Amino acid sequence: MEKLLKRLAVCIERGKVDADSPYPPELKGEDGAVELTRKALDGGCPPQEVLRGGLMAGMNVVGAQFEEGEAFIPDLLIAARAMTAAMELLKPHFDSGAIEYRGMVILGTVAGDLHDIGKNIVRMVLEGDGWEVTDLGVDVDTEQFLEELTGNPGSVVGLSALLTTTMVNMEKTTAAIRERFPGTRVFVGGAPLSEEFSTKIGADGFFPDPQKFAKHLSALPEQEGGA
Amino acid sequence: MPSTPRELVRRALRFEYPERLPRQLWTLPWAGIHHPETVAELERRWPSDFETTQWFYPPSRRAKGDPYRPGESTDAWGCVFQNIQPGIIGEVKDPILANWADARDYAPPREQLPEKGTREWDEALEAIARIHVGTDRFVFANICPQPWERYQFLRGTENAMIDVLMPDQGLHDLLRRIHEFYMTELELWCAADVDAISLADDWGGQSRLLIRPDLWRELFKPLYRDYCDIARAHGKHVFLHSDGHIVEIYPDLIEIGIDAVNSQLFCMDMAALREEAKGRITFWGEIDRQHVLTADDPTVARAAVREVARHLYDPAGGIIAQFEFGAGARPASVLAVFDEWERVHDEATRQGGK
Repeated sequence: MEKLLKRLAVCIERGKVDADSPYPPELKGEDGAVELTRKALDGGCPPQEVLRGGLMAGMNVVGAQFEEGEAFIPDLLIAARAMTAAMELLKPHFDSGAIEYRGMVILGTVAGDLHDIGKNIVRMVLEGDGWEVTDLGVDVDTEQFLEELTGNPGSVVGLSALLTTTMVNMEKTTAAIRERFPGTRVFVGGAPLSEEFSTKIGADGFFPDPQKFAKHLSALPEQEGGA
Repeated sequence: MPSTPRELVRRALRFEYPERLPRQLWTLPWAGIHHPETVAELERRWPSDFETTQWFYPPSRRAKGDPYRPGESTDAWGCVFQNIQPGIIGEVKDPILANWADARDYAPPREQLPEKGTREWDEALEAIARIHVGTDRFVFANICPQPWERYQFLRGTENAMIDVLMPDQGLHDLLRRIHEFYMTELELWCAADVDAISLADDWGGQSRLLIRPDLWRELFKPLYRDYCDIARAHGKHVFLHSDGHIVEIYPDLIEIGIDAVNSQLFCMDMAALREEAKGRITFWGEIDRQHVLTADDPTVARAAVREVARHLYDPAGGIIAQFEFGAGARPASVLAVFDEWERVHDEATRQGGK
């Protein structure tokens, strides 16, 4: 089983979705993430083990490569695509409670901003790292974040913006979350942002790439959303 | 006799000691909406040395709406943009070729281009020639080949990023059609009286290229080389804009014959950029739009100009004072940029430059 999980991790890392996937060429015709996940589950491997030893292990490798500058956005995206496909098979096990998420992250691009590629990559990386992610989409106003937090108190919030004109909306949203849900962790991301800006608006941090964000979340104490 | 703006730009591109730095302001509609007085002051005090010819293509049958207004608009290629902020171009949310099946019969807007040898072709060239004769500024063709950006508009960004990993699945074919359109368009514009063509694609993220450099070289560099070759064959200069961290491909851009690059200098290590490119290509701006021009304190903008100058300025040339007055920029900061560049050049020439 260990060997199978290692193969699964390689399929995730390399973005091999299923046997029919043409990428990567050197794995042509071989089982992909979907088939190997199915085989692992059918073979009696605990779903939690499939998640951690296969899916998360693979995403962690490509994430670390991205952080080191050895992988690029297409590599992350194709790995995430393989992970998402395999995750479909694990979904019933999440629903039944056989696998537990690390916690919930609420993501959204703030009001006035329609950009979402960065946020989407963060979502995929966090899902691959075992988080339940609620993606509120783009142009999300403060009320929508508050409403989601009302239903899911204790969640971590991630705010995204690409435009300098919409960064100001992060401050409004952060302040409203602080007031209504004190203690909620709020993080910000996006090309024009900085740690300085994050501090200025009272957020808990800025991360220049998704892997650093995922690592930080995982290191948080469990009662604060970490695992 | 002092140089004309056109001569100034040419001297900067050729490292022939322009008597002042050529300058160019990019103004997004947002600036005109929010700071019309500042835009007017900039144009009065530091008029641009560049001009772009008018757009003379017939209206596209596919285009609808105004891309700079909130709502939905469609461009000449049929790509649908959603916008919620006036003065800023929107985003493609439902790419028309997200499914490869839809790409089979897709054609670029070739119907907009006049056929070579027809009366329309001759009239277009005559119209452009009139502009060139009527101005002493450096004239850009009113086109902007952007094969990667266009590919993303058609396929969607996430699909496009994945397509580069498996180009045989359709990327080669669609990119070829886009490229052929641009080459046809360039044939017209390079035959016309313009000084330069400009290209624009965003290739950088905040800290590195978006895609692997070897893939960029395999898939996209040949396209830009073709654009440079046709421009060179007609004696035109080539300018290229790319957002993001692109220091790794500067040597490639120099190799294929790009004359000037507009890139986000402040994303990159300017010392590394100096090593790679100073003296071999012209830095066509810019000043950081994300942190510098949006700062309330104009001394930040002045320091930023000095930072660029420290690494990349040479009184012989290779610098065009350029920046974008776009969303969030502060009036005092944008005014400080051209003023500081003037000081930099004046100080250098007083100290012994030509």
